Amino acid sequence: MSQGMLNISSGPHVRDKWTTRFIMTVVSLSLLPTAIVGVAVNGMHALFVLLASVISAVVSEYLFDKIAHKPNTVKDGSAVVTGLMLGLTLSPKAPLALPIIGSMFAIIVVKCLFGGIGRNFINPALAARCFLLISFGRLMTDYAVDGATGATPVATLLAGKAVNVTRMFFGLDGGVIGSSIIAIAIGGLILWAMDIIHGEIWFSVLFGFSAFILLFGGQGFDINFLLAHLCGGGVMLGAFYMATDYTTSPVSKKGQAVYGLLIGILGGVFRLFGSSADSFSYSIIIVNLLTPLIDMYIIPKPYAYRKEMIAFRNGEPRKEKSFSIPRPVVALGVIALLAGLSLSGVYTMTKDAIEEQRKAANTASYKAVCPDAESFTVTDAVKSKLEELGEEVYGTAFGRVYIRDAVIGVNAAGETAGYVVSVTSAEGNDGNITLSLGVSPDGEILGISFTELNETPGMGMRCGDPEFIDQFIGKNVKKLTLVKGGGAGDDGIDAISGATITSDAAVDAVNAGLDFFWNVMKEAE
Amino acid sequence: MRDTFLGGVHPLEKKELSRSFPLKAFETKGDMIFPLSMHIGKPAKAIVKKNDPVLAGQVIAEADGFVSANIICSCSGKVKAVEKRRTLAGTLQMCIVVENDGQFTEAADYSVREELASLSNQEILDRIKAAGIVGLGGAGFPTHVKLMPKDPSKIRYIIANGAECEPYLTCNDRMMRCYGKEIVEGLEIILRLFPSAHGVIAIEDNKPEAIEAMKRACEGKANMEVKVFPTKYPQGGERSLIQAIAEVDFPGNMLPADVGCIVDNVGTIYAIQQAVLYRHPLFSHVLTVTGEAVNQPGNFFVRDGTMISELVEACGGIREGVTLKKALAGGPMMGFALSSLDCPVQKTTNGITLLDEDGVELAEKQATGCLHCGRCTTVCPNGLLPQLMYEAAEAHDYDRYEKRLYGMDCVACGCCTYICPAKRPLTQMFKQTKAEILAIRRMQAGGRK
Repeated sequence: MSQGMLNISSGPHVRDKWTTRFIMTVVSLSLLPTAIVGVAVNGMHALFVLLASVISAVVSEYLFDKIAHKPNTVKDGSAVVTGLMLGLTLSPKAPLALPIIGSMFAIIVVKCLFGGIGRNFINPALAARCFLLISFGRLMTDYAVDGATGATPVATLLAGKAVNVTRMFFGLDGGVIGSSIIAIAIGGLILWAMDIIHGEIWFSVLFGFSAFILLFGGQGFDINFLLAHLCGGGVMLGAFYMATDYTTSPVSKKGQAVYGLLIGILGGVFRLFGSSADSFSYSIIIVNLLTPLIDMYIIPKPYAYRKEMIAFRNGEPRKEKSFSIPRPVVALGVIALLAGLSLSGVYTMTKDAIEEQRKAANTASYKAVCPDAESFTVTDAVKSKLEELGEEVYGTAFGRVYIRDAVIGVNAAGETAGYVVSVTSAEGNDGNITLSLGVSPDGEILGISFTELNETPGMGMRCGDPEFIDQFIGKNVKKLTLVKGGGAGDDGIDAISGATITSDAAVDAVNAGLDFFWNVMKEAE
Repeated sequence: MRDTFLGGVHPLEKKELSRSFPLKAFETKGDMIFPLSMHIGKPAKAIVKKNDPVLAGQVIAEADGFVSANIICSCSGKVKAVEKRRTLAGTLQMCIVVENDGQFTEAADYSVREELASLSNQEILDRIKAAGIVGLGGAGFPTHVKLMPKDPSKIRYIIANGAECEPYLTCNDRMMRCYGKEIVEGLEIILRLFPSAHGVIAIEDNKPEAIEAMKRACEGKANMEVKVFPTKYPQGGERSLIQAIAEVDFPGNMLPADVGCIVDNVGTIYAIQQAVLYRHPLFSHVLTVTGEAVNQPGNFFVRDGTMISELVEACGGIREGVTLKKALAGGPMMGFALSSLDCPVQKTTNGITLLDEDGVELAEKQATGCLHCGRCTTVCPNGLLPQLMYEAAEAHDYDRYEKRLYGMDCVACGCCTYICPAKRPLTQMFKQTKAEILAIRRMQAGGRK
């Protein structure tokens, strides 16, 4: 019997059914519940953001392969995962340009230019998110939905206020599209059960983060406080989906545990002592960069070459296996503990000083607008109204303005010398404008002073000039109007030419302050 | 003893194709070809020449040196030629070609039984050596060498390997079912040589009948037991068995005897029993012909030197409507692909697997870049890091491959390649890299002279 030439190749001649594409499909499917909740809570625009992100990721990879004359790698499905993950970390009201630019950056710059799948040195989706955060900060952190408040739960939490953990758990509060903790956890645990993501990583991330928050959060063992921190700011999405990225995490189990702890601890440091609510992305990216280093130093030896095995072969009795924490983990833990202690020490020591300085600065700015006052007090009625307002927008007629503070100035004789309201408008040309407004007991404006003004020099910044400020002094009306091109009457303020937006925001802030003075502070008396 | 070794994979067993077919003797009418190298070590030296008459059981080539083995003729007839012929490996090798007269006249009467008690240890070893017995599990290491370790008193375990973890193959299963008593006797012969050793018959739990048969056969024997392992590839690997039974691992430059273990395939142990008690030399052994592409799979007692094509023909040939994509000597995990079926069965051939689809071809189509998923690391039975080894091998960083990643300890079991979702050709790369490193070592050693 003669056969034609048969295939010859080196074995094994049978292979497991799992392919790269299968794994990527399962990961994408496990993200679907998170995406569905995100769209259900945030509306159709969230769906468009996700679609734009996924489609542009796939198209970018296809085009790159085409242009670079490389074999088409789109069908392995990793671009879909990257696109989906990026989309889930964006605001549900992000303009569609953001996911498109982000996906292109993730796929082309972070992945393809470094050699495609398995060659990127940081997580592409997170790299793109950080790129977008740096380039389009305001658009990226604008989470407001349907004109409701803009503060994310973590921002609220960091401001020292209570958040609703249950709502966070289900993803009902503001934030990125993928913020439903329960959906993320279910998806992640399914991946873990299928042995697609490494338990060493997600567990040590969450463990490191929790331990750090509990130790240095300053709230003792407050489970609600911990849960609030765990549920917010992308910790869950990061632990289950971002940190577990195969390419950018270490090879060995021990290395993975170290890697996870580092992410958790760094995330905790950034969360408690940093300024950004989006800091978890940065901690993952930084530790991604350390992965090659971890892989260099933590390489497990084959079983036959391990110390215990050599000793056993040499006739020594086998040691009973005892659970031991790897030395590098202990060392890192101690270092993190010391760093945390010193940081919190410095923070506590300087906290009072900072507070005092801030008070002194406030008092100085209050005095500038209420010159007759010697000291400032506040009544209970005003205080409770301020607390009730919290981070809510004040009124409806002044745009996005917030009442920061309100005090009553008392002169040397103990009589009321005037009232000061500190107001922030978020509608400046380049960010927030905060000013202090001084009003006499009969409603005459004593002066205004800007405590936060970051507008364009030569244009918006000119709001701080006496030429603009002095217009307000002596006016005694309930509401001012902004006038362009001169001819301002009793209630009119001349806008600074070329800086209408800033002028408008400033007048809105003053009007809100006047409103608060008449309707809250005067009423309370 | 542990339940099993660390790592490992679960390929589709496919044993049901052939496991229900009892052993049959297969006798060919055609010419028989005996390669001079069917074992590890130096090829044997031919002691017959063209036109010499030969009988079944006659030594036709003698062991050349210590690590070598006799070649035994399996039929009667006359020598047709001593020339180069194509063998399993696909290369041309020196072979003795015998024209088969179809009588299978034996050189001596192999039915006279001698009792073990009447034999000395040296006689036992001499008979094993004369019978040309090599490891029938696949490696083909001369058995008499294996049974002469430096310090026999240190041997703690004699492991009869009936795990048969390779998918598709069922000949050891059938063998244990039929020849339980003979295998136990063979094990007793080896235990005679190593009085301080304990005999362990290792079987995977997917062979309940064989477990039953072996348990019955060693009932009442104090110095041996049947140990059942979960079905997991490569449970039947020498190091996997030692890892599980003696709970010890050893580096690639050590031998099992260095850690007090000797592992022999149940087929080899049967051959030892035959050789020692009946002076029956090794010229036939069991093998499985199986696979989706063959018409009637089965298990056979085959004489060495039989042409594979004849054997396949006897199994009804290739199934109609199916194309033979790949023919393997051995099973799909560690077997090697044949370029043609026109080559002879060797001592170490324990299976012919005929597949209607080529997993390697399919894998090449699905291949992507390495994901670094770490699956290869989890399944490696020796605790190596295949993904890093591959990177080092690709970069020709042999120093890192050898010294930092212990790449020379790879036993080429194929688990990493089997499990890899990116379908990287890991095992292939490691085999090649090991060969290159050995070649460099040889070159350097030559240069120093």
